[in-house]
Formats: sequence, structure tokens, C-alpha cells
Amino acid sequence: MAFPFVRLCPRHVSTGLQVCSYATLSKASRPQEKSSAGPVFQYVGQNKKPTPKVFVWGFSFTGALGIPSFVVPDSGRKKPRKYQLTPYRLETAEQISSAACGYGFSLIASSTKDASKLWGMGLNKDSQLGFQRTQHSRHQSYDYVLEPSPVALPLVNPLQTRVLQVACGRAHSLVLTDREGVFSMGNNSYGQCGRRIVEDELMHLLFFSQVACGQDHSLFLTETGKVLACGWGADGQTGLGHHNISSSPVEVGGDLSGVEVQQISTYGDCSLAVSRDGQLFGWGNSEYRQLASVTEATQINSPRHLPLKGCGKVVQAACGGTQVAVLNDKGEVFVWGYGILGKGPNLSESSTPEVIPSTLFGRSQFNPSVAVTRIRCGLSHFAAVTDRGELFVWGKNVRGCLGIGKRDDQYFPWRVTVPGQVVDVACGVDHMVAMAKSLL
Amino acid sequence: MATPAVRMFRRLEGLFCVYKPSGVHWKLVRDSIETNLLKVLNATPSQPLPQEVRFLAQPSTETEAPKGLTLSATSVPVLSKHPLVSGPEFQNIQVGVGHRLDAFSSGVLVLGVGNGNKTLNDLYRTRVTRDYTLEGEFGTATDDFTHTGGVVERSTYEHITQDKLERVLAMLEGANQKALLMYSNVDMRSQEAYEMAVQGLLGPEGKSAPILTGLRCIHFQPPNFILEVQCLNETQKYLRKVVHEIGLELRSTAVCKGIRRTRDGLFTLQDALTRHHWTAADITQAIRQYHSSKKHRKRSQSPAKKPALKTSEDVTATQQNEANEEAAVGKIKKLVAETRS
Repeated sequence: MAFPFVRLCPRHVSTGLQVCSYATLSKASRPQEKSSAGPVFQYVGQNKKPTPKVFVWGFSFTGALGIPSFVVPDSGRKKPRKYQLTPYRLETAEQISSAACGYGFSLIASSTKDASKLWGMGLNKDSQLGFQRTQHSRHQSYDYVLEPSPVALPLVNPLQTRVLQVACGRAHSLVLTDREGVFSMGNNSYGQCGRRIVEDELMHLLFFSQVACGQDHSLFLTETGKVLACGWGADGQTGLGHHNISSSPVEVGGDLSGVEVQQISTYGDCSLAVSRDGQLFGWGNSEYRQLASVTEATQINSPRHLPLKGCGKVVQAACGGTQVAVLNDKGEVFVWGYGILGKGPNLSESSTPEVIPSTLFGRSQFNPSVAVTRIRCGLSHFAAVTDRGELFVWGKNVRGCLGIGKRDDQYFPWRVTVPGQVVDVACGVDHMVAMAKSLL
Repeated sequence: MATPAVRMFRRLEGLFCVYKPSGVHWKLVRDSIETNLLKVLNATPSQPLPQEVRFLAQPSTETEAPKGLTLSATSVPVLSKHPLVSGPEFQNIQVGVGHRLDAFSSGVLVLGVGNGNKTLNDLYRTRVTRDYTLEGEFGTATDDFTHTGGVVERSTYEHITQDKLERVLAMLEGANQKALLMYSNVDMRSQEAYEMAVQGLLGPEGKSAPILTGLRCIHFQPPNFILEVQCLNETQKYLRKVVHEIGLELRSTAVCKGIRRTRDGLFTLQDALTRHHWTAADITQAIRQYHSSKKHRKRSQSPAKKPALKTSEDVTATQQNEANEEAAVGKIKKLVAETRS
């Protein structure tokens, strides 16, 4: 019946066959029309660079997060957001290369040569963010800065100097520039700001590579590996051999004389220094057994070498309020001190370094070589950045500073979901700032 | 008293895996295997018919008196047990399917026969991971995420490098590792949670969203790429969606050209029987291999197991001891047993 039909009107049959599609004549047998009409979209070009981003989270009422709508909502229907429990994007004008979190305030800096390269937000009662002129009167400064506002640095050549690093303490901050030394602002009641180092001829010859702020003291690291300290010294955290205030930076001696230091770290009342050959030196408060490997006393006022067994070559150290963490060249993290150390609720204090197993940082049989590249300490929590751009946090969740979406304390390293690859992170008391870049 | 067919069936009870080709519904595979097994089982020579003694009335001649029935004992075969009356010994066999594979995918498909179906149940109640190989192609997005679907969008892919792909895979893996912790029912504030997290034992119990426990790229040649995936509680459509989403993350589009399951629990591609081996003889050998490896594992109790992957045998040993209230999938209708008086 079909055959004569075909002979008579082949064209009709062919269209008929196409109209009634059998199960066998499905899209699978029809060859894919690759060259069919239809636009080809291009979303990114070949030379696209990753976009830098800044994320903030934690306690927002001090303005330290830099998002004014959390404190003063845009519309009357919205409520103020006291805790930002997950990373929130902070829009910045420039790419931020360095950030620091103090006690209720933050400083972010970009390594550009433009006029505005340093922004501050948060508490400004001690002028730790410089002078923020109010709208109403020229002589008053804002007590709380809710948005990242430019900090005017008295630079000799403002369009030539770059800001390398910023550091924030309890009520003071230090800014390290590449050509004009270190600038300090904020509370100077314990001499933690030192003198204006720019003007001092002797200091001018020293080029600094890093600055660190403790609670009420400051540490400076020169390019040659010498450490200078000033500020409150009652716990010996200045390391100058006495327990008095030091109002100008003085070189630190003790076990550090002759040693080339590559990194210094402090946030509370204990200070640590890592030498270029991987040795660790510590001084300051030891009430929480941070320096118990060398002493039973509660304070050391002069740097002592800390013999760490089984840690290998120390690459980075991070000091918190009551706990200490070091990173060795293999990417392993060792913690000791007091508080939530990261090995479960049962380990709340240790005077010897305890290693955190790398399976908690994402090491698995599919990825056997994940290593931590950066370790940072807040006042009572830790943050670690791995080489794959993931951020792990653990410790006491003070007002949501961990950014894990809940307000419970975290007893072992937990991943923070940041939309991007994390480059660096700054930890404060109750908030954190993370610098990331997009995946592509 | 077991007939040769029943004895052969006992040898067939257990688990084995076949290689399911793509384009075929899993039910067809299961049906054809059942048919092959039935053919062989019913072809076994049947036992001779039992005889029984019956008191039959003698054929009376007309000249005998009507009363006085004389019965004599005669041994006659039991006709009710004749195969032509009762039918073949096995009408159907319970062949159960493990984790299903949809028509587009191919790979290891675990089947259980008879008592093996109980083991299958227990196997899938534990946390067993599966390995897949996903083949993808950049440049197109389709409505069902495969290369045979209707094209939704086409985009460029020249900007994609292996480095960018690795970054996206690392991000996906991080998200899935976090999901593993989130779906576990353990209290995160306990020491037990820390111990389990260190060993990698944290994970969902029972049903949960699909989680990829491992993800890596084993071949990259734009526009084609091949991923190796280790996952829990997944469906093949979800895996195709993952390929599609990887394309989106890379600011392009991708489709899945093929999914192949290379491992399901402890059954790997090496143990899988291909189509020409779906015969009773090969299946019996595969099941014998499975039983012997089970004994081997119990005896050695090797500590080199992957911690995230619970072996079926440990669990079945513990769970078969407790009463299995759930109706097992297989209850063999043994006509011989039922009609035994």
C-alpha cells in the first residue's frame, strides 16, 4: 500500500515522514546541526583577569564592616543588621592589596599611586582612622565611620608613594609606605604610636618591611631583619627588657640580636618573630602558656628562642589574644595556648605545639597535596588560607566573626563559603575582612 | 530434597555486576538476564516422577458379584508432579537491581539473585560511593544537558584553560566537602565530630542531596574534557547538570556526552560482565568470585579500606544479624517446596 504511494508523490511522502516522528527517528539519529543559524555568545575574552573583591563579615554596629545600611537602614521597613554571619561584598573604588582589622575598626589600603589610597571604617573615638572631618563643623571628627572613608596621610609626595601594609591595634593604627616610612595614628597614651618616624633622621635610613600592632604596643620590622618596639610594656610585650612604657621605637635585643627576622606578629599582649632560617622567638605575656616551652613565668620581657619540637622550619607565625599558631614550610599548622585551639572541644589548652590534621583543610585522596599558605589570628579565633584559595576558620565565634552562618563556636577548621578564591584575610576581635579574586 | 534445578539456583544466589550499554533501559537488561537464567534453570533434567502406592479397584468382569470390591495396591506415578501438569520449576526468578542507571548512561550495574537481594538492600542502606567518568564538551548548552538534546545556547570556549577548569573544580569540591559536613547528623560541638572529621567519616546517613566526594579532570582538550567523579546519593541527571554548571562557571556552556559508571561500591569495571557473557555459566562464576572475595575480606579485615566508603560486607554482617523486618525483594516461589506434603 505504501509503495505505490511513494512512487506517485515522493515529495508528499517525504514531508509526511518528517511530520510523524517515530521514536527511532529521534534527535539522536539526526546529526547535530552544528552550523545552524543561531548566535554564538561570548561572555569573556581570552585575556580576562580575575576581578578583585573584598568581603566583610562580623559585628556591624561599630561600622567596622563599612556598610552603612547595616547600621542605618536605607528604608524604614528594613531593620538594622547587627551581625553579618556570612561574607558580604564590600564595594571599593580600587583594588585592595592590604587590610587590617582592629578592635572595632578596619583599615583597607590599595597599592595605587593615586591620591586616595587608604580608607578606614569603624570606631574613630581615638582617631585611629585619622581625622574624619564632620559635615557640620571643621574642627570635629566623626566618632563612628560607617563607610570606607579616605584617610589623609601627610605624605611628602602623595602621588608617588604607595601604601605597602596597614596594621591595627586596640586604638591605634600603623601605615607602612614604600618611600616615606611608617605613619601612626590613634591613641598614644602608652606611646604606641611612637614619634613621627618620618622626621627622625636615624629612622629615615631604615626601610621597614612590616609593621604589627598589638593591643597597646607596636612592632616594626626593618628590611635588614631588626625589630623595633614601642608602647605599653607591662607584660613585657615590647621585649625591651623592662616593664615600662616606651614612647619611641627602640631596637629589641635578647635572643633576637644578630638574628634576621622575616616576620613579626602580635595582636594581644604576646609577640612572636620568625627568623629567616625558620626559628621562632617570643616575648610578652605568657599567662596562657604561649611561651611555656621556655619559661614557667607569666611574662617575658626579652625575646627568647622557642624550641619547637616537630614543627620543622617555621614560615609564618600568628599571635592571638590567648593562643598562638605557626605554619611550617610543608603547609602544616601547629597551635598552642589557651582557648578553642582547633582539635575539638576537649583540647582547650596546650603548652606544646599540636598539629592540625591536613584532612581538615581539604586534603583527600583526590587532592593529596593541599597546603595552608597563610595563617592569621584574631583575638580568639584563627583563619587559614590554603593554596587552592579556600578559607578555613575556627575558634570562638565572637558576635559572628567566623562567617560560617551561625553564631556557635567552631572547634575544628570549617570552610567559609566565599564566592571567589581568597588571597588574604585580616582578623579582628569581632569582624573579619577577606581579599579575594573571582575564579575566572 | 532439592532438585538439580534448585541446587543450581542455590549456586546462583548472590550479587554480581554487568556492564549496561548506553541507550538501553535498565529494565531490559534485568529482564534479559532473568530470561537467560530461567532458560538454563528449566533446562536441567528433571527428577524422575515419584511413585505412590494407590489402592485401585481391580477392573471387574461382568461375571463378578457387584459387592465385594477388591482393591489391589499398585504403584503409580504421581501425575500432579509431572512437569506438563505443574509447569516448569521456575516461573520467574527475583533478580534485583542495585543503583539504577538511566538510558543515556552506561557502566557497572549491580544485580542480585535470590538471597542476594537482601544484601543489596543492606548495601544501599550504608553509605556507598560510586565512581563515574563524565565526558563533556564545551560550546553548547542543551535542554537535557546531553549532546543529543535541543540546543539552547552556543558560546565561545577559547578562553578556557586547564588551570581555570581546575580552579572551578576546586571550588565545587570545596562546596561539596562542606555539604558533607552539613548533612551529617553529628553535633559539631562534640569531640566525636572532630574525630570523625579528621578521618573523613562525616557524611549523610540515608537519603540526602547528591554530594560529590571527589572531582578531578583526567583529560582536557578543548572543547572536550573528561572528569572523574566520586559521589553519594546521586542521579545521572544530576551529574549531567554538574557538567552544565561547570560550563556556566567558566563563563561558557557545556554538555555531557557520556556518563560511565566505573565503580559501584566494591564492584568495578573489571568484574562487570559484558553482553556476550550474560549467561548462567558466567553469572555463576561471577557470583562464586563474589562469595570468595567476601570470605577473603572477612578473614583479612584489611585496614586499607577507604574510610569514607563502608564496605558492604561489614554492614551486612552486622545488619543480617538483626531481624530484617523489611520484606526482602526476593522470595523464590519454589513450587516443589510448596507442594511438598
